Amino acid sequence: MPSGGFSALLSCVLAWLLPGAGHFYLGKRRRAAVFFLVVFATFMLGLLNEGHSYLADRQQPLTYLGTFANIAIGPLEFLSRRSTYHRLVYALPADENSPEAQVLLTAMRDKVKVVTDEYGTTFLLTAGLMNMLLILDAFDIAIGRKS
Amino acid sequence: MLRSHFLNMVILSVLVSIFFAFLTQNDRRERLKVMAILLLSMVVLSLLIAYAMFPFPLNSAR
Repeated sequence: MPSGGFSALLSCVLAWLLPGAGHFYLGKRRRAAVFFLVVFATFMLGLLNEGHSYLADRQQPLTYLGTFANIAIGPLEFLSRRSTYHRLVYALPADENSPEAQVLLTAMRDKVKVVTDEYGTTFLLTAGLMNMLLILDAFDIAIGRKS
Repeated sequence: MLRSHFLNMVILSVLVSIFFAFLTQNDRRERLKVMAILLLSMVVLSLLIAYAMFPFPLNSAR
């Protein structure tokens, strides 16, 4: 049940691409601005506090949730991933002793050694989780379930 | 970089409070109310939990 001619899919994609963009598209301009500022500030605090992005690791299932939460922030996530691993990589190789896995683990350990890493990582995860809720909220507004 | 655990906690609480106030309420007064309740809950409960944990040793192996 589409509402006001808005596409639910487009609002969700926009919300993922840029925090608040889904709400902006749905005509909720003021709310969109607040959401963008809050989520962007949370993400930037994560970066400034040297937080790290997660890598999906088969031996640690919870890392899948962390990686998913990181990705939920959208393309902004490239910044934090590049700052952690110096390239875009999302999964740890199956063989943890391989040279590639060792490079990635070393890069992650370098971040973890920073005293503010845990604060930063929490900010990064929170920003991703907030954007996930924004995507769902944009979907609800687009289908007329919420005003 | 913010090294203060308390400052980081308060900043995160403020951001999360604003976020949920705007996500769940449309009225300005209701937003302020939700924001205040969430912010106080997060900060005060965290301090209470920290206070309750104070007697426990940081490292039981020592």
